[in-house]
Amino acid sequence: MKKIGTLLAALLLTTSIYAQQAFKLKVSGEVGTPLELSLQDLTKLPRKNAALTDRDGKVHQYTGVPVYAILQKAGVTLGGELRGANLSKYLLVKCADGYEVLLSLAEIDNGFTDREVILADTIEQQPLEATKGPLRLIVPGEKKPARSCFQVIEMVVGYGKE
Amino acid sequence: MNRLKYIFCLIILGSVLIALNAAVSIDFFKPEPYQLTYPNYFGNRYLIPNDNPTTVEGVSLGRMLFYEKALSAGNKISCGSCHRQELAFTDGKDFSQGANGTPQPRNTMALVNLLWTRNLFWDGRAKLLEVQVKEPLSNIHEMNQPIATSIRKLEALGIYSEKFGRAFGDTKITEDRIAKALAQFERTLISADSKYDRYLQGKYQPTASEVNGIALFYGRPNAQGNIRSAACSHCHGGPQTYSELYMNNGLDSVYKDPGREAITGQDYDKGRFRTVTLRNIALTAPYMHDARFKTLEEVVDHYSDHLVKSKYLSPFLQNLSGGTANNQMNLTINEKKDLIAFLHMLTDSTFIQDRRFSDPFEKGSNYKKVNFN
Ligand code: HEC
Ligand code: HEC
Repeated sequence: MKKIGTLLAALLLTTSIYAQQAFKLKVSGEVGTPLELSLQDLTKLPRKNAALTDRDGKVHQYTGVPVYAILQKAGVTLGGELRGANLSKYLLVKCADGYEVLLSLAEIDNGFTDREVILADTIEQQPLEATKGPLRLIVPGEKKPARSCFQVIEMVVGYGKE
Repeated sequence: MNRLKYIFCLIILGSVLIALNAAVSIDFFKPEPYQLTYPNYFGNRYLIPNDNPTTVEGVSLGRMLFYEKALSAGNKISCGSCHRQELAFTDGKDFSQGANGTPQPRNTMALVNLLWTRNLFWDGRAKLLEVQVKEPLSNIHEMNQPIATSIRKLEALGIYSEKFGRAFGDTKITEDRIAKALAQFERTLISADSKYDRYLQGKYQPTASEVNGIALFYGRPNAQGNIRSAACSHCHGGPQTYSELYMNNGLDSVYKDPGREAITGQDYDKGRFRTVTLRNIALTAPYMHDARFKTLEEVVDHYSDHLVKSKYLSPFLQNLSGGTANNQMNLTINEKKDLIAFLHMLTDSTFIQDRRFSDPFEKGSNYKKVNFN
């Protein structure tokens, strides 16, 4: 009986170790090329800063990759192409805990707005804490930090269909 | 001559057998749409696959299958053995026993408002009810019977062919159809007539303690800690007391059950489980995936005073109460009582007595036992 117990425990342990996978950020939906980017891949993209007033009431400086740059790499209709029917497109950002937030493409397009929506990997030059990283969406200039969601794992571009 | 006769007989016999076995299609196949009714504040974000609309005939079949013990090895248990209506479709046990007598690895979940649930099980590993139901049917810890055997037994029972015909257009019994009918029935299990619903609809005047419990549950603590709040709704959501989130609610720092991590392979998902609904929570003890808490008092004590700090603990359960020395919520005795009074408001006695969800084989039915062997 005891043996079976140890065996089971060993099995559980090994499965949880074997199951460990490298982190990948997915970009999918209405894109030219769906992407699966590693953290290493992201270092090759430009970096920007963004300030956010967090739940603690204080302003923090975040640094990371502009969402615009990632979507451009995936061939999303931004810049000159963001007009007509493309204006009814949205970006759905999905997080590891199941939380989802939505932005319209125009909200992240440099032609429409100066604010820089980024996928941050550092706060005040330090890595994000484990429960918020490796990547946190930073949507600056809002009264609540509710769209600045933690642990982003996927970005899906879609058409509003109503 | 004799030989010809013999062959002739064989042919006749063969065609009779084929005819008996073949699916009989139902003339005028026109299933009636099933009306799913629920309050507006539940929202319409649910998924019914196009190839499995909810119909009166399908739900009726699904209800029979839900309570059909022939779907288990040994014919002793059905879905309804672990998911009992009077306990909001749980069974009060720490770990239910399957058909082979071994206990389940996790506590049995309540079946409530599944129409809106897009990630099923404690770790969200099944995405659709049609997929989910296939697991208990053949899982060794649950009903432990190959699907082919289940189909053969349903055919032998005789009462089912016509039911499948009415639900799906012909009398053929398949795994897919069993799953579809069960999923249809599960979608109808809507609980929306609790005291709390009546309060939301302006039909019930809550007590002072209940009012305070509602405020504690739905309140958001602010940075200064000057709003008394238990921060429950951040995870457990709006009126459905359910949101599609995986969270680490501070039960442990070392995890016997890795939870969500086993599905995603990501370290940050360690000890994360789905934030389950609190509807009918007073009926569904024991609590948590591992049944560690036996009462709601123990649950509230946990959130108030015993959250286990780890690097995996949800940020929404950190820095509560404006940074008191121990960083716990530190609810007072009265606040705990009020919060529990609110949790009791979620009990829906209409739901647990609704005849549409009950065992159709109970006394008065003309169901006959068949010897399968
Ligand atoms: C032996 C007991 C047992 C039997 C029999 C059983 N279940 Fe379950 N059910 C469980 C347990 C335990 C869980 C949680 C499992 C997990 O998360 O790993 C569960 C989870 C579920 C869920 C997920 C609910 C949610 O909110 O995600 C559904 C739906 C469900 N069961 C339906 C069924 C159906 C339909 C049947 C019959 C085909 C059935 N169960 C038979 C024990 C049982
Ligand atoms: C950080 C998110 C989060 C917060 C905040 C939270 N919960 Fe939970 N709750 C969960 C998760 C996740 C589970 C399932 C955990 C498990 O089984 O391992 C759960 C489970 C429960 C259960 C047991 C459900 C069952 O069927 O066994 C109860 C009761 C409960 N919570 C009540 C509360 C109350 C009351 C509060 C406020 C004091 C609260 N929760 C705050 C995430 C949260």
